[in-house]
Amino acid sequence: MVLVVSGKYDDSGHEDPGHPERPDRVAAVDAAVDDLHLGSDLVVVPAYAATRSELTRVHDGTYLDELGAFCYAGGGDIDQDTYATYDSWSIAKLAAGAGLAVIEELQRRQDGVGFVTARPPGHHALANRAMGFCLLNNVAIAAAALVAQGERVLIVDWDVHHGNGTQQIFWDEPNVLYVSTHQWPLFPGSGTASEVGGWHAIGATVNIPLPAGATGDVVRRAIDEIAAPVIDAFEPTWVLVSAGFDAHRADPMANLELTSGDYAEFARTVASYAPGPGRLAMFLEGGYDLVALRSSVEATLSSVLEKPCEVEDRSSGGPGSDQVLRSKAERVAALEMMHESAGEEAQS
Amino acid sequence: MMPPKIIAVGYDGSPDSEIAVRWAMHLAVEIGANVVVVHAAGLLEHLHARFSREETPAGVLALAKECGINEARLYWHVDEGDACSVLLRATGPPVEADLLVVGSRGQGQHPGLLLGSTSLELAEQSSTPVVVVPLSWRDE
Repeated sequence: MVLVVSGKYDDSGHEDPGHPERPDRVAAVDAAVDDLHLGSDLVVVPAYAATRSELTRVHDGTYLDELGAFCYAGGGDIDQDTYATYDSWSIAKLAAGAGLAVIEELQRRQDGVGFVTARPPGHHALANRAMGFCLLNNVAIAAAALVAQGERVLIVDWDVHHGNGTQQIFWDEPNVLYVSTHQWPLFPGSGTASEVGGWHAIGATVNIPLPAGATGDVVRRAIDEIAAPVIDAFEPTWVLVSAGFDAHRADPMANLELTSGDYAEFARTVASYAPGPGRLAMFLEGGYDLVALRSSVEATLSSVLEKPCEVEDRSSGGPGSDQVLRSKAERVAALEMMHESAGEEAQS
Repeated sequence: MMPPKIIAVGYDGSPDSEIAVRWAMHLAVEIGANVVVVHAAGLLEHLHARFSREETPAGVLALAKECGINEARLYWHVDEGDACSVLLRATGPPVEADLLVVGSRGQGQHPGLLLGSTSLELAEQSSTPVVVVPLSWRDE
Protein backbone atom coordinates (compact mmCIF):
# COMPACT_ATOMS: atom_id res chain seq x y z
CA MET A 1 0.00 0.00 0.00
CA VAL A 2 1.30 3.47 -0.81
CA LEU A 3 1.71 6.29 1.66
CA VAL A 4 0.55 9.65 0.32
CA VAL A 5 2.15 12.50 2.24
CA SER A 6 1.88 16.24 1.91
CA GLY A 7 4.93 17.85 0.34
CA LYS A 8 7.19 20.19 2.22
CA TYR A 9 6.32 23.83 2.28
CA ASP A 10 8.33 26.56 3.91
CA ASP A 11 6.83 26.84 7.39
CA SER A 12 9.88 28.47 8.96
CA GLY A 13 8.12 31.83 9.08
CA HIS A 14 5.58 30.53 11.58
CA GLU A 15 7.74 30.33 14.65
CA ASP A 16 7.91 32.02 18.03
CA PRO A 17 11.26 31.35 19.71
CA GLY A 18 10.81 29.04 22.69
CA HIS A 19 7.28 28.06 21.74
CA PRO A 20 6.73 24.26 21.69
CA GLU A 21 4.75 24.37 18.41
CA ARG A 22 7.79 24.79 16.16
CA PRO A 23 9.15 23.82 12.75
CA ASP A 24 11.37 21.08 14.24
CA ARG A 25 8.22 19.01 14.68
CA VAL A 26 7.91 18.63 10.92
CA ALA A 27 11.52 17.50 10.70
CA ALA A 28 10.76 14.78 13.27
CA VAL A 29 7.80 13.57 11.21
CA ASP A 30 9.86 13.63 8.01
CA ALA A 31 12.53 11.55 9.75
CA ALA A 32 9.87 9.03 10.80
CA VAL A 33 8.71 8.70 7.19
CA ASP A 34 12.32 8.29 6.04
CA ASP A 35 12.81 5.56 8.65
CA LEU A 36 10.18 3.48 6.86
CA HIS A 37 12.26 3.26 3.62
CA LEU A 38 9.15 3.16 1.47
CA GLY A 39 10.87 3.75 -1.86
CA SER A 40 8.32 3.92 -4.66
CA ASP A 41 5.52 3.30 -2.17
CA LEU A 42 5.96 6.88 -0.96
CA VAL A 43 3.99 9.48 -2.91
CA VAL A 44 4.55 13.15 -2.15
CA VAL A 45 1.89 15.63 -3.25
CA PRO A 46 2.59 19.36 -3.18
CA ALA A 47 0.53 21.44 -0.79
CA TYR A 48 -1.47 24.31 -2.21
CA ALA A 49 -3.00 27.29 -0.45
CA ALA A 50 -6.62 26.47 0.41
CA THR A 51 -9.03 28.82 -1.33
CA ARG A 52 -11.42 31.12 0.46
CA SER A 53 -14.40 28.98 -0.55
CA GLU A 54 -12.67 25.90 0.88
CA LEU A 55 -11.98 27.73 4.13
CA THR A 56 -15.43 29.28 4.51
CA ARG A 57 -17.02 25.83 4.60
CA VAL A 58 -15.94 25.87 8.26
CA HIS A 59 -14.63 29.34 9.14
CA ASP A 60 -16.44 32.68 9.27
CA GLY A 61 -15.35 35.04 6.48
CA THR A 62 -14.94 37.87 8.99
CA TYR A 63 -12.56 35.78 11.05
CA LEU A 64 -10.50 34.92 7.98
CA ASP A 65 -10.29 38.59 7.02
CA GLU A 66 -9.17 39.57 10.52
CA LEU A 67 -6.61 36.80 10.75
CA GLY A 68 -5.14 37.72 7.39
CA ALA A 69 -5.02 41.41 8.27
CA PHE A 70 -3.49 40.67 11.69
CA CYS A 71 -0.71 38.64 10.09
CA TYR A 72 0.00 41.19 7.36
CA ALA A 73 0.24 43.84 10.08
CA GLY A 74 3.08 41.86 11.60
CA GLY A 75 1.19 39.43 13.83
CA GLY A 76 1.77 38.92 17.55
CA ASP A 77 0.10 37.00 20.36
CA ILE A 78 -3.55 36.22 19.64
CA ASP A 79 -4.03 34.83 23.14
CA GLN A 80 -1.84 33.47 25.91
CA ASP A 81 -1.03 30.33 23.86
CA THR A 82 -1.44 31.25 20.22
CA TYR A 83 0.82 33.37 18.08
CA ALA A 84 0.86 34.51 14.48
CA THR A 85 3.58 36.12 12.40
CA TYR A 86 3.60 38.00 9.12
CA ASP A 87 3.92 34.64 7.30
CA SER A 88 1.39 32.70 9.38
CA TRP A 89 -1.63 33.44 7.19
CA SER A 90 0.07 32.05 4.07
CA ILE A 91 1.46 29.06 5.98
CA ALA A 92 -1.89 28.26 7.60
CA LYS A 93 -3.59 28.25 4.20
CA LEU A 94 -0.91 25.84 2.94
CA ALA A 95 -1.48 23.60 5.97
CA ALA A 96 -5.19 23.49 5.17
CA GLY A 97 -4.51 22.94 1.47
CA ALA A 98 -2.02 20.15 2.23
CA GLY A 99 -4.88 18.09 3.64
CA LEU A 100 -7.07 18.76 0.64
CA ALA A 101 -4.25 17.82 -1.75
CA VAL A 102 -3.63 14.51 0.03
CA ILE A 103 -7.33 13.64 -0.08
CA GLU A 104 -7.56 14.51 -3.77
CA GLU A 105 -4.60 12.20 -4.48
CA LEU A 106 -6.15 9.36 -2.46
CA GLN A 107 -9.39 9.83 -4.39
CA ARG A 108 -7.54 9.76 -7.70
CA ARG A 109 -5.68 6.58 -6.80
CA GLN A 110 -8.50 4.96 -4.83
CA ASP A 111 -5.68 3.44 -2.86
CA GLY A 112 -3.20 4.21 -0.12
CA VAL A 113 -3.13 5.95 3.23
CA GLY A 114 -2.61 9.69 3.68
CA PHE A 115 -0.52 11.57 6.20
CA VAL A 116 -0.68 15.36 6.35
CA THR A 117 2.25 17.02 8.08
CA ALA A 118 0.36 20.23 8.66
CA ARG A 119 1.45 22.98 10.98
CA PRO A 120 0.19 25.03 12.54
CA PRO A 121 -2.11 22.31 13.86
CA GLY A 122 -5.86 22.81 13.67
CA HIS A 123 -8.23 20.97 15.97
CA HIS A 124 -8.65 23.76 18.56
CA ALA A 125 -9.45 26.40 15.92
CA LEU A 126 -13.11 27.41 16.17
CA ALA A 127 -15.21 28.67 13.29
CA ASN A 128 -14.52 32.23 14.38
CA ARG A 129 -11.45 32.11 16.61
CA ALA A 130 -7.87 30.93 16.78
CA MET A 131 -6.80 29.19 19.97
CA GLY A 132 -4.57 26.46 21.39
CA PHE A 133 -1.75 27.03 18.83
CA CYS A 134 -4.32 26.59 15.99
CA LEU A 135 -5.28 29.12 13.33
CA LEU A 136 -7.28 27.15 10.75
CA ASN A 137 -8.93 23.81 11.45
CA ASN A 138 -7.18 21.61 8.89
CA VAL A 139 -9.01 18.36 9.57
CA ALA A 140 -12.39 20.12 9.61
CA ILE A 141 -11.67 21.84 6.29
CA ALA A 142 -10.87 18.44 4.77
CA ALA A 143 -13.93 16.79 6.33
CA ALA A 144 -16.20 19.59 5.10
CA ALA A 145 -14.85 19.15 1.56
CA LEU A 146 -15.71 15.45 1.73
CA VAL A 147 -19.17 16.10 3.18
CA ALA A 148 -19.79 18.51 0.28
CA GLN A 149 -19.15 15.53 -2.01
CA GLY A 150 -21.75 13.46 -0.17
CA GLU A 151 -19.37 11.47 2.03
CA ARG A 152 -19.96 10.36 5.63
CA VAL A 153 -16.83 11.22 7.56
CA LEU A 154 -15.54 9.71 10.79
CA ILE A 155 -13.01 11.93 12.57
CA VAL A 156 -11.01 10.15 15.25
CA ASP A 157 -9.10 12.62 17.41
CA TRP A 158 -6.46 10.88 19.53
CA ASP A 159 -4.57 14.06 20.47
CA VAL A 160 -4.26 14.31 24.26
CA HIS A 161 -6.30 17.52 24.22
CA HIS A 162 -9.97 17.63 23.29
CA GLY A 163 -10.53 18.98 19.78
CA ASN A 164 -13.03 21.61 20.82
CA GLY A 165 -12.83 23.39 17.47
CA THR A 166 -13.68 20.32 15.42
CA GLN A 167 -16.46 19.41 17.83
CA GLN A 168 -17.95 22.90 17.60
CA ILE A 169 -17.76 23.05 13.81
CA PHE A 170 -19.56 19.71 13.32
CA TRP A 171 -21.76 19.87 16.43
CA ASP A 172 -24.96 19.78 14.39
CA GLU A 173 -23.68 17.96 11.28
CA PRO A 174 -25.11 14.44 10.98
CA ASN A 175 -22.66 13.43 8.23
CA VAL A 176 -19.65 13.79 10.51
CA LEU A 177 -19.03 11.51 13.48
CA TYR A 178 -16.49 13.06 15.85
CA VAL A 179 -14.78 10.69 18.31
CA SER A 180 -12.20 12.04 20.74
CA THR A 181 -10.03 10.39 23.38
CA HIS A 182 -8.33 12.96 25.60
CA GLN A 183 -7.02 13.69 29.07
CA TRP A 184 -9.57 15.44 31.25
CA PRO A 185 -9.50 17.76 33.04
CA LEU A 186 -7.02 19.48 30.77
CA PHE A 187 -7.04 22.31 28.24
CA PRO A 188 -9.40 23.29 26.65
CA GLY A 189 -11.74 22.04 29.39
CA SER A 190 -14.44 20.74 27.04
CA GLY A 191 -14.99 17.12 26.03
CA THR A 192 -17.17 15.55 28.70
CA ALA A 193 -19.05 12.38 27.84
CA SER A 194 -22.36 14.22 28.13
CA GLU A 195 -21.48 16.35 25.07
CA VAL A 196 -23.12 14.18 22.40
CA GLY A 197 -23.94 16.54 19.50
CA GLY A 198 -26.62 19.02 18.49
CA TRP A 199 -30.31 18.50 17.76
CA HIS A 200 -29.66 17.52 14.15
CA ALA A 201 -26.77 15.24 15.04
CA ILE A 202 -27.70 13.60 18.33
CA GLY A 203 -25.00 11.08 19.19
CA ALA A 204 -22.59 12.18 16.43
CA THR A 205 -20.13 13.48 19.01
CA VAL A 206 -18.42 10.84 21.16
CA ASN A 207 -16.14 12.05 23.94
CA ILE A 208 -13.93 9.75 25.95
CA PRO A 209 -12.30 11.74 28.78
CA LEU A 210 -9.42 9.96 30.53
CA PRO A 211 -7.69 10.73 33.82
CA ALA A 212 -4.02 11.62 34.09
CA GLY A 213 -1.92 8.46 34.11
CA ALA A 214 -4.29 6.47 31.89
CA THR A 215 -2.56 3.78 29.83
CA GLY A 216 -3.25 2.17 26.48
CA ASP A 217 -5.37 -0.69 27.85
CA VAL A 218 -7.83 1.84 29.28
CA VAL A 219 -8.04 3.73 25.98
CA ARG A 220 -8.59 0.46 24.10
CA ARG A 221 -11.40 -0.52 26.45
CA ALA A 222 -13.01 2.88 26.05
CA ILE A 223 -12.85 2.68 22.26
CA ASP A 224 -14.26 -0.84 22.24
CA GLU A 225 -17.08 -0.15 24.69
CA ILE A 226 -18.09 3.43 23.86
CA ALA A 227 -16.93 4.39 20.38
CA ALA A 228 -16.91 1.17 18.32
CA PRO A 229 -20.69 0.53 18.39
CA VAL A 230 -21.37 4.14 17.32
CA ILE A 231 -18.81 3.94 14.52
CA ASP A 232 -20.23 0.65 13.25
CA ALA A 233 -23.73 2.14 13.16
CA PHE A 234 -22.52 5.32 11.44
CA GLU A 235 -20.91 3.38 8.55
CA PRO A 236 -18.32 6.00 7.55
CA THR A 237 -17.23 6.30 3.93
CA TRP A 238 -14.08 8.19 4.95
CA VAL A 239 -11.89 8.20 8.06
CA LEU A 240 -9.80 11.21 9.08
CA VAL A 241 -7.57 11.20 12.12
CA SER A 242 -6.56 14.19 14.19
CA ALA A 243 -3.26 12.53 14.94
CA GLY A 244 -1.74 14.22 17.94
CA PHE A 245 1.10 12.36 19.58
CA ASP A 246 1.15 14.30 22.86
CA ALA A 247 -0.54 11.46 24.77
CA HIS A 248 2.87 9.74 24.66
CA ARG A 249 4.31 9.32 28.16
CA ALA A 250 7.37 11.43 27.26
CA ASP A 251 5.39 14.43 26.06
CA PRO A 252 5.70 17.50 28.29
CA MET A 253 2.24 18.91 27.53
CA ALA A 254 0.11 16.32 29.33
CA ASN A 255 0.09 13.27 31.60
CA LEU A 256 -1.16 10.23 29.73
CA GLU A 257 1.16 7.22 29.59
CA LEU A 258 0.88 5.95 26.03
CA THR A 259 3.76 4.43 24.07
CA SER A 260 4.57 4.08 20.40
CA GLY A 261 3.22 0.51 20.68
CA ASP A 262 -0.15 1.92 21.75
CA TYR A 263 -0.22 4.27 18.76
CA ALA A 264 0.55 1.34 16.45
CA GLU A 265 -2.41 -0.55 17.84
CA PHE A 266 -4.80 2.42 17.75
CA ALA A 267 -3.79 3.10 14.14
CA ARG A 268 -4.58 -0.49 13.20
CA THR A 269 -7.97 -0.22 14.88
CA VAL A 270 -8.82 3.12 13.29
CA ALA A 271 -7.70 1.91 9.85
CA SER A 272 -10.15 -0.96 10.17
CA TYR A 273 -13.01 1.59 10.25
CA ALA A 274 -12.17 2.77 6.71
CA PRO A 275 -14.47 1.09 4.19
CA GLY A 276 -11.65 0.45 1.72
CA PRO A 277 -8.22 1.59 0.53
CA GLY A 278 -7.69 5.27 -0.20
CA ARG A 279 -10.16 6.42 2.45
CA LEU A 280 -7.95 7.07 5.46
CA ALA A 281 -5.97 10.26 6.05
CA MET A 282 -4.15 11.35 9.19
CA PHE A 283 -3.46 14.97 10.12
CA LEU A 284 -0.63 15.99 12.45
CA GLU A 285 -1.95 17.82 15.50
CA GLY A 286 0.09 17.90 18.74
CA GLY A 287 3.25 16.07 19.78
CA TYR A 288 6.02 18.16 21.32
CA ASP A 289 8.70 15.71 22.43
CA LEU A 290 10.58 15.23 19.19
CA VAL A 291 11.91 11.74 19.95
CA ALA A 292 8.47 10.48 21.01
CA LEU A 293 6.89 12.21 18.01
CA ARG A 294 9.26 10.51 15.57
CA SER A 295 8.86 7.03 17.09
CA SER A 296 5.08 7.37 17.41
CA VAL A 297 4.60 8.55 13.82
CA GLU A 298 6.79 5.71 12.58
CA ALA A 299 4.86 3.18 14.67
CA THR A 300 1.53 4.57 13.43
CA LEU A 301 2.48 4.51 9.76
CA SER A 302 4.21 1.13 9.88
CA SER A 303 1.09 -0.29 11.47
CA VAL A 304 -1.35 0.95 8.81
CA LEU A 305 1.09 0.11 5.99
CA GLU A 306 1.85 -3.30 7.53
CA LYS A 307 5.59 -2.65 7.50
CA PRO A 308 7.95 -4.05 10.15
CA CYS A 309 8.97 -1.56 12.84
CA GLU A 310 10.33 -1.76 16.35
CA VAL A 311 7.88 -0.20 18.78
CA GLU A 312 7.74 0.24 22.53
CA ASP A 313 5.65 -2.23 24.51
CA ARG A 314 2.01 -1.30 24.86
CA SER A 315 1.21 0.34 28.19
CA SER A 316 -1.20 -1.00 30.76
CA GLY A 317 -2.20 -0.82 34.40
CA GLY A 318 -3.02 2.88 34.63
CA PRO A 319 -6.13 4.43 36.14
CA GLY A 320 -9.34 5.17 34.29
CA SER A 321 -11.41 1.98 34.01
CA ASP A 322 -13.98 3.41 36.40
CA GLN A 323 -13.98 6.66 34.40
CA VAL A 324 -14.79 4.69 31.24
CA LEU A 325 -17.83 3.16 32.94
CA ARG A 326 -18.96 6.58 34.20
CA SER A 327 -18.50 8.09 30.73
CA LYS A 328 -20.57 5.32 29.19
CA ALA A 329 -23.38 5.97 31.67
CA GLU A 330 -23.16 9.76 31.22
CA ARG A 331 -23.40 9.40 27.46
CA VAL A 332 -26.43 7.12 27.68
CA ALA A 333 -28.14 9.55 30.06
CA ALA A 334 -27.39 12.54 27.83
CA LEU A 335 -28.68 10.74 24.74
CA GLU A 336 -31.88 9.69 26.54
CA MET A 337 -32.48 13.26 27.67
CA MET A 338 -31.97 14.66 24.17
CA HIS A 339 -34.17 12.03 22.53
CA GLU A 340 -36.91 12.69 25.10
CA SER A 341 -36.69 16.44 24.49
CA ALA A 342 -36.69 15.93 20.74
CA GLY A 343 -39.78 13.72 21.07
CA GLU A 344 -41.61 16.31 23.18
CA GLU A 345 -40.70 19.00 20.68
CA ALA A 346 -42.07 16.92 17.82
CA GLN A 347 -45.35 16.29 19.68
CA SER A 348 -45.93 19.94 20.61
CA MET B 1 -34.13 42.84 39.96
CA MET B 2 -31.97 41.16 42.59
CA PRO B 3 -28.37 42.33 42.91
CA PRO B 4 -25.75 39.68 42.03
CA LYS B 5 -24.65 37.37 44.83
CA ILE B 6 -21.61 35.83 43.14
CA ILE B 7 -19.35 37.90 40.90
CA ALA B 8 -16.83 36.00 38.76
CA VAL B 9 -13.98 38.14 37.46
CA GLY B 10 -11.32 37.08 34.98
CA TYR B 11 -7.70 37.43 36.06
CA ASP B 12 -4.50 36.75 34.13
CA GLY B 13 -2.11 39.07 35.94
CA SER B 14 -2.36 41.81 33.30
CA PRO B 15 -3.08 45.44 34.25
CA ASP B 16 -6.48 45.16 32.54
CA SER B 17 -7.46 42.18 34.63
CA GLU B 18 -6.29 43.91 37.82
CA ILE B 19 -8.58 46.83 37.05
CA ALA B 20 -11.45 44.40 36.51
CA VAL B 21 -10.75 42.63 39.81
CA ARG B 22 -10.63 45.97 41.61
CA TRP B 23 -13.98 47.00 40.09
CA ALA B 24 -15.56 43.66 41.01
CA MET B 25 -14.29 43.88 44.58
CA HIS B 26 -15.59 47.42 45.04
CA LEU B 27 -19.02 46.33 43.82
CA ALA B 28 -18.96 43.27 46.06
CA VAL B 29 -18.22 45.42 49.10
CA GLU B 30 -21.09 47.76 48.17
CA ILE B 31 -23.71 45.04 47.73
CA GLY B 32 -22.41 42.25 49.98
CA ALA B 33 -21.63 39.80 47.20
CA ASN B 34 -18.94 37.13 46.98
CA VAL B 35 -16.11 37.52 44.47
CA VAL B 36 -14.62 34.54 42.63
CA VAL B 37 -11.39 35.47 40.90
CA VAL B 38 -11.15 33.12 37.93
CA HIS B 39 -7.98 32.23 36.05
CA ALA B 40 -8.07 30.40 32.70
CA ALA B 41 -5.13 27.98 32.45
CA GLY B 42 -4.03 27.77 28.83
CA LEU B 43 -2.06 25.10 26.98
CA LEU B 44 1.31 26.56 27.83
CA GLU B 45 0.54 26.60 31.54
CA HIS B 46 1.07 22.86 31.55
CA LEU B 47 4.72 23.68 30.87
CA HIS B 48 5.00 26.82 32.96
CA ALA B 49 2.33 27.19 35.65
CA ARG B 50 1.81 30.90 36.29
CA PHE B 51 -0.47 30.57 39.29
CA SER B 52 -1.04 28.00 42.01
CA ARG B 53 -4.38 26.22 41.82
CA GLU B 54 -4.75 26.16 45.58
CA GLU B 55 -3.36 29.48 46.79
CA THR B 56 -4.79 32.86 45.91
CA PRO B 57 -2.04 34.93 44.24
CA ALA B 58 -0.42 37.61 46.36
CA GLY B 59 -1.46 40.23 43.81
CA VAL B 60 -5.13 39.33 44.26
CA LEU B 61 -4.82 39.31 48.06
CA ALA B 62 -3.23 42.75 47.90
CA LEU B 63 -6.12 44.05 45.81
CA ALA B 64 -8.59 42.52 48.27
CA LYS B 65 -6.91 44.31 51.16
CA GLU B 66 -6.87 47.57 49.25
CA CYS B 67 -10.56 47.28 48.40
CA GLY B 68 -11.52 46.24 51.92
CA ILE B 69 -13.21 43.00 50.96
CA ASN B 70 -13.65 40.38 53.65
CA GLU B 71 -11.45 37.36 52.85
CA ALA B 72 -14.39 35.08 53.63
CA ARG B 73 -16.09 36.55 50.56
CA LEU B 74 -13.09 35.99 48.27
CA TYR B 75 -12.49 32.79 46.29
CA TRP B 76 -9.76 31.74 43.82
CA HIS B 77 -10.71 29.42 40.97
CA VAL B 78 -8.47 28.00 38.22
CA ASP B 79 -10.05 26.18 35.28
CA GLU B 80 -8.58 24.75 32.08
CA GLY B 81 -9.29 26.51 28.81
CA ASP B 82 -9.45 29.85 27.07
CA ALA B 83 -10.66 32.85 29.04
CA CYS B 84 -14.04 33.08 27.34
CA SER B 85 -14.96 29.41 27.82
CA VAL B 86 -13.75 29.38 31.39
CA LEU B 87 -15.79 32.45 32.33
CA LEU B 88 -18.87 31.05 30.60
CA ARG B 89 -18.45 27.83 32.58
CA ALA B 90 -18.18 29.90 35.76
CA THR B 91 -21.92 30.63 35.48
CA GLY B 92 -22.52 26.93 36.24
CA PRO B 93 -21.36 24.71 39.10
CA PRO B 94 -19.24 24.94 41.15
CA VAL B 95 -18.95 28.75 40.83
CA GLU B 96 -22.57 29.63 39.88
CA ALA B 97 -21.73 33.26 39.12
CA ASP B 98 -24.58 35.61 38.33
CA LEU B 99 -22.34 38.42 37.07
CA LEU B 100 -19.21 38.17 34.91
CA VAL B 101 -16.56 40.86 34.91
CA VAL B 102 -13.61 41.20 32.54
CA GLY B 103 -11.05 43.79 31.58
CA SER B 104 -11.32 45.31 28.14
CA ARG B 105 -8.46 43.17 26.93
CA GLY B 106 -6.34 40.52 28.59
CA GLN B 107 -2.81 39.34 28.19
CA GLY B 108 -1.69 39.07 24.60
CA GLN B 109 -4.79 40.72 23.19
CA HIS B 110 -4.32 43.61 20.87
CA PRO B 111 -6.17 46.90 21.22
CA GLY B 112 -8.61 47.62 18.45
CA LEU B 113 -8.62 44.06 17.15
CA LEU B 114 -11.66 41.83 17.35
CA LEU B 115 -9.46 38.77 16.89
CA GLY B 116 -9.33 36.92 20.19
CA SER B 117 -11.42 39.47 22.05
CA THR B 118 -12.63 37.75 25.21
CA SER B 119 -14.89 40.63 26.20
CA LEU B 120 -16.64 40.76 22.85
CA GLU B 121 -17.16 37.02 22.60
CA LEU B 122 -18.32 36.85 26.20
CA ALA B 123 -20.87 39.57 25.59
CA GLU B 124 -22.13 37.66 22.56
CA GLN B 125 -22.37 34.26 24.19
CA SER B 126 -23.19 34.80 27.86
CA SER B 127 -26.74 34.60 29.15
CA THR B 128 -25.47 36.08 32.42
CA PRO B 129 -24.83 39.85 32.55
CA VAL B 130 -21.28 40.84 31.60
CA VAL B 131 -19.40 43.97 32.67
CA VAL B 132 -16.36 45.06 30.66
CA VAL B 133 -14.18 47.37 32.71
CA PRO B 134 -12.08 49.81 30.69
CA LEU B 135 -8.41 50.22 31.53
CA SER B 136 -9.11 53.90 32.21
CA TRP B 137 -11.52 53.14 35.09
CA ARG B 138 -10.46 54.57 38.41
CA ASP B 139 -12.27 54.27 41.72
CA GLU B 140 -13.51 57.70 42.79
